[in-house]
Amino acid sequence: MHSDITLLDIQNLSIDFQIEKNTTHAIQTISFALHAGKTLALVGESGSGKSVTALSILKLLSTPPAQYVNGEIFFQTKNKERIDLLQLDEEALRNIRGNEIGFIFQEPMTSLNPLMRCGLQVAESIRLHQKCTKDKAREKTIALFEEVKLPNPKEIFYRYPHELSGGQKQRVMIAMAISCNPTLLIADEPTTALDVTVQKTILELLKELQRKNGMAILFITHDLNLVKHFSDDVMVMYQGKCVEKQDTKSLFAYPQHPYTRGLLACRPDKNHRVKYLKTVAEIVATNPEENKLEENNWIADTAFATRIENINKSTPLFVLQDVQIWYPTNRSFIGKTNAWYTAVNGVNLNIHEGETMGLVGESGCGKTSIGKAIVKLTDITSGQIMYKGKSIADLNKADTQQYRRDVQLIFQDPYSSLNPRISIGEAIQEPMHVHGIHPAKNRKEKTIELLNKVGLSAEHYHRYPHEFSGGQRQRICIARALALQSTFLICDESVSALDVSVQAQVLNLLVALRDEFNLTYLFISHDIGVVKHISDHVAVMQKGLIVEMNDAENLFKHPSQLYTQELLQSQY
Amino acid sequence: MLPFLFRKVLNSFLVLLGVVGIVFVLFFVLLPADPARLTMGQRSDAKSLENIRKELYLDKPVYLQFLFYLNDLSPLAIHGNTKEDIEKYDYTKLFSISNQNNVVLKAPYLRRSYQSKKEVSSMLLDAFPGTFILAGLAIFFATVFGILFGIIAALKKGTWVDTSVIFTSVLGISAPSFFAGILIAYVFGFLLRNYTGLSIVSPMWDYDPFQGRHLILKSLILPVFTLSIRPLAIIVQITRSAMLDVLSQDYIRTAYAKGLSKKAVVWKHALRNALNPVITSVSGWFAELLAGSFFIEYIFGWKGIGKITVDALNKFDFPVVMGSVLFTAFIFIVMNILVDVMYGIVDPRIKK
Repeated sequence: MHSDITLLDIQNLSIDFQIEKNTTHAIQTISFALHAGKTLALVGESGSGKSVTALSILKLLSTPPAQYVNGEIFFQTKNKERIDLLQLDEEALRNIRGNEIGFIFQEPMTSLNPLMRCGLQVAESIRLHQKCTKDKAREKTIALFEEVKLPNPKEIFYRYPHELSGGQKQRVMIAMAISCNPTLLIADEPTTALDVTVQKTILELLKELQRKNGMAILFITHDLNLVKHFSDDVMVMYQGKCVEKQDTKSLFAYPQHPYTRGLLACRPDKNHRVKYLKTVAEIVATNPEENKLEENNWIADTAFATRIENINKSTPLFVLQDVQIWYPTNRSFIGKTNAWYTAVNGVNLNIHEGETMGLVGESGCGKTSIGKAIVKLTDITSGQIMYKGKSIADLNKADTQQYRRDVQLIFQDPYSSLNPRISIGEAIQEPMHVHGIHPAKNRKEKTIELLNKVGLSAEHYHRYPHEFSGGQRQRICIARALALQSTFLICDESVSALDVSVQAQVLNLLVALRDEFNLTYLFISHDIGVVKHISDHVAVMQKGLIVEMNDAENLFKHPSQLYTQELLQSQY
Repeated sequence: MLPFLFRKVLNSFLVLLGVVGIVFVLFFVLLPADPARLTMGQRSDAKSLENIRKELYLDKPVYLQFLFYLNDLSPLAIHGNTKEDIEKYDYTKLFSISNQNNVVLKAPYLRRSYQSKKEVSSMLLDAFPGTFILAGLAIFFATVFGILFGIIAALKKGTWVDTSVIFTSVLGISAPSFFAGILIAYVFGFLLRNYTGLSIVSPMWDYDPFQGRHLILKSLILPVFTLSIRPLAIIVQITRSAMLDVLSQDYIRTAYAKGLSKKAVVWKHALRNALNPVITSVSGWFAELLAGSFFIEYIFGWKGIGKITVDALNKFDFPVVMGSVLFTAFIFIVMNILVDVMYGIVDPRIKK
């Protein structure tokens, strides 16, 4: 559209965070410009300063601890004035917020006021900036809800946020952000918390609104692949600095900076199965000319086919027969359940020893329920789960103990699944103590051995969880699961919360451990790329049912079900 | 909503029944004193002792005593047809089940004081308005200022304003009411009497020979203020921490990003979200204050529930003590139901 107008022009912006006596330089002399009607993507891992940059534009950072050390943020208003947002007083700034610059946040679940009806939250913004009556604002809100394609806009106006799904909430957020026809829309990881299929529709919606309203979008994300078809320009950030700024096409074709190359390469390869995922650090360290090793890393199709054949020949470790899991949703007056939610509706699945079974599907499809049922954290309503030929419901007390030792769960969030007051050495030792494995005096030695296995060292033994990064914590969780010499691990979205480079490390570790100890995994994830990389077989779940199951190669090459195709399309 | 309320009321009824049971066991079974002797006071001839035993059903086995006690308390009860019973229970007859007995509707009969021979329920009802006005005003004052100071402290977190609010509130929490009461009465009602125009003993009612009794508003000031200190201090702290929690939530950032002013964000978005813990503590305190506050009533010369109860304890006047225990339990239960309803109104996420 009018791409000659520079809408946003950030020059030499530096922001520090001052916490007690420590100063962190969150952003160091960042400069970039965004033209009207265009899309710029800020890409980086957690801690790279991308969100801080976005929040600083509207001065939404709380000061202290944040300090604007240096720089200017020029913005062209609707009246064609060029102003420095950092110099504005509070009232002038409020007039820009929501009116000329709209903001969409990462977490639709927590970004809406839970006690206020959705419609009123949008109408509030309209009434604030356009000074109109209540009824007029309501009409406009309902029209906006229609524009963002919410079903039953009139009804949703009066709903509370908790009564909507995540995708619907994000649509309400978008409606709020575009309610006053802003010229700039800042979207801070708007799809990260959503399912892949929803992710795609939200991105399409944003694109469509951009075409219609001619607004510029500043798109912040950690997922480089997401912006490939979405943005005009990309800026890659690393530790508060801009490492690369290019138009999207050239960036994907010829990434200049090693870090960008790393980000692109540490994701599982779409075309080849690889033995080992390179981490960003390794890619940054290697010379781009040394690409010869790459092919040694590939797993040949024939090798994979033989592996699958061998797996299929062995007797299955787990057999799930017509498993159904229902949860009570409503209780009658005397406490008797009279309504159920069917989370899992008749699932049949075989898991063989030494293989990795991938389980993909959107949230709410029942994949976590299956994991929970296997570790006996939830009861199955009907059907059977057979372990080594015996139903796990009929195990006697001693067998149950042994079963719990064999089967372990690794959780999604490494931040909340470690007790902050227990040193990691003790945390890893605890299951040994509970199950009485290894003589007490050998346990410390065993723990240190485990720490070494997962790439940590003895000196970490007495440290506490807060001293570790997310990736390290997830490795500690894996070590804890291995402490019982378990043979079967359930990884429930175990790498989803991690940055891509860290994800690669953890995935490599899981593969190495599988090969060393002949472990069996049930790998639950919504991330199809990751599942494809690690799994031998993949089952696709939808609404409590397995709609398709095949070996990892064939499933992705020849998906037979419509839903699988949809999932694949929305991911890549 | 209605089934929810019904379930709550049913639950509460069971709780109340439990309290009655415990009270009965404590005062009739475990207490090593003879109620008949206590009733008699100094006089003691065998004949009247016997009469009193009969009147209090002390000659009956314990389980029968309990049933009679329940019958006395229950609004729906079976009572005799005799003139004595009609006078004693002041009931409305529903229908008769035999020549002597009627199923009746009545106010709960809490029996009579051993000492004054007055009906316990009328004693409590007499004292209740005073306690209610005192507690109501105190809790109102504490809530309004507690929330206000709590918000101010949260908004000015880390500054001298915050620190001094916290310091004062800790002081308020740690000052026991008998100490604070005496101090305040002494300073404002005695030392500064000429400026404040207040006096230490400030009874609620003034008896005018022509107009009968009327309320003295001025005499509410000191007791209400004293009584509100501790709830105020605690409400300040709870509001502050709830506000701090809410203010760091994502939706507050959303509200700012809309362009709302700080005032609008705090009052429209933050406060309501911070209200639940405040409601819990306000209601708890209100119920507690309604049960009477002996020291305040004593120091300022009020005749409230607290004073009646403590006096009765001193004189082993157990019907009064039992009555006020049941009364207090009843207040707490009613308060609980109200609070549950309030939660549902404030927060739509709470399921009925």
